[in-house]
Amino acid sequence: MKDELFIIPPNWPAPHYDFSKNPLTAEKVMLGRALFYDPVLSRDSTISCASCHSPFTAFAHVDHALSHGMDNKIGNRNAPALMNLAWSGAFMWDGAINHLDMQPLAPISNKDEMNEEIGHVISKLQHSKIYPSLFYKAFGDSIITSEHQLKAISQFLLTVVSANSKYDSVMRSETTFTSQEKNGYKLFQENCSSCHKEPLFTTFQFENNGLSVDTTLLDLGRMKVTQRPDDSLKFKVPTLRNIEFTYPYMHDGRFKRLSEVLNHYSTGIQPSKTLSKQLLKPLALVSNDRVDIIAFLLTLTDKEFLFNPKYSYPKNIFLTPPQE
Amino acid sequence: MNFRYFFFFSFFFFQLRFVSAQKEKLNLIEFHPVFGKSSLSLNDVYYRMNSEDSLQVESLKFYISNIELLTNNIPVWKERNSYHLIDVSDKKSLIIFLENGHHGSFNKIKFNIGIDSITNVSGAMPGALDPTLGMYWTWQSGYINFKLEGNSNVCQTRNHEFQFHLGGYLPPFNTLQTVLFTVSNNKIPAIAIDIQKFISANELVNDNHVMTPGKQALLLSQKLPGIFRLEQE
Repeated sequence: MKDELFIIPPNWPAPHYDFSKNPLTAEKVMLGRALFYDPVLSRDSTISCASCHSPFTAFAHVDHALSHGMDNKIGNRNAPALMNLAWSGAFMWDGAINHLDMQPLAPISNKDEMNEEIGHVISKLQHSKIYPSLFYKAFGDSIITSEHQLKAISQFLLTVVSANSKYDSVMRSETTFTSQEKNGYKLFQENCSSCHKEPLFTTFQFENNGLSVDTTLLDLGRMKVTQRPDDSLKFKVPTLRNIEFTYPYMHDGRFKRLSEVLNHYSTGIQPSKTLSKQLLKPLALVSNDRVDIIAFLLTLTDKEFLFNPKYSYPKNIFLTPPQE
Repeated sequence: MNFRYFFFFSFFFFQLRFVSAQKEKLNLIEFHPVFGKSSLSLNDVYYRMNSEDSLQVESLKFYISNIELLTNNIPVWKERNSYHLIDVSDKKSLIIFLENGHHGSFNKIKFNIGIDSITNVSGAMPGALDPTLGMYWTWQSGYINFKLEGNSNVCQTRNHEFQFHLGGYLPPFNTLQTVLFTVSNNKIPAIAIDIQKFISANELVNDNHVMTPGKQALLLSQKLPGIFRLEQE
């Protein structure tokens, strides 16, 4: 049986990524996976992509409100979970990155993250024992270029798809919700799904969800990218898939528990000019409603995704000595 | 026997070289960086802006893209995959050879200064568009269209530095600029890039660091077409 590298789940929209410009192959995906787990991308070889994006927590950084980098530096935003990236057209909480291929350049060059230069990364890869042959297998060329490196990382990330949670099974009529989950789903559809739209559980838009401004970060979000006052305090609507494991929540990781998130939407909304119009009226959710919504949100956990060996550390590449 | 082959191939290569040299002559664009009437050198020379103030240029790099030849405003030839990084520190980059160039008549040449918005959102690319060339913003996707760095006594900055990294493709601050020249005899004269037309002491006092997309980058970019001029034969 042929193992398909990327399948559009039934009833999902067409992906945003243009696969014709970077057609997936098993060798390129494997190369991208090696690069994702390799700290060689950071200047002192201490930080890999996986340092802040662990596969067992849907590629989020559990328990860390803000991202961590070299020399114990702390960034200014929460490292987001990574999944279903083929459907996303803008990356980072403010959408500053316009293409999946270009995303790795940001953490590689950020002083508070990997603090490295992409040109130097290419040179390190070229002089490594394993990469020239991996690039040759993938691209037919052992001369390493940034184009090939970035496209390989995209290839791996494109295969990171979560579409097999209990929610998905229910939608495929393979199982049923409990009565509590069912009520939670109804409340979710009434109160949350205009921004967290099924089946990806995001519209990929930027919204101000009424968080108070953290005066230590003074993060204006999307406005920094567009320079439009209308975009002040707007951040990308994140997917809710695997939310059980992607805590802490929000762009600055301020909420540790889902109950705090639900409390925020019920009683914590801060009014401001750019507040999302869906939140002008706080969500009228009594305590039991919030519990039921959380029960529904836990059905978005995709165990097959979280423990899928094809996303894990590629031991065979790093532990096998290169063949002469 | 071997000698005959050698002779044959030498003759063949000679022909080939002769033909390609002719082609190149017809189809190249040569840029001459200047400061007013002086040719522009990096690092070692100070150029006077007025009787008291001068500047030194350390780096000048910019993109030329989408080169077209036109006859009466109708395009008769477009370069494919037309992206060129001009870097004054690399003399070879000052000449663009138009591969598979146009051999018929034309009376206008058109090109962009910078990288168009579609290319800006098209992901990882090779050659002149390689993001390791120092002309790509890693923290906010987009190419730097034009980069000028140096120092001047008028700049009250660290080491009297000025830095202009002009770019940005998102409206309303799309900084891409177009240059259109009328030419004669189906020839492209050398094109001067005059930094004196971009910089003045009065402005440099206050505006000496622009390194993000936005209104200021747009205003400065709009000056760029004016620094290009055809040199007379």
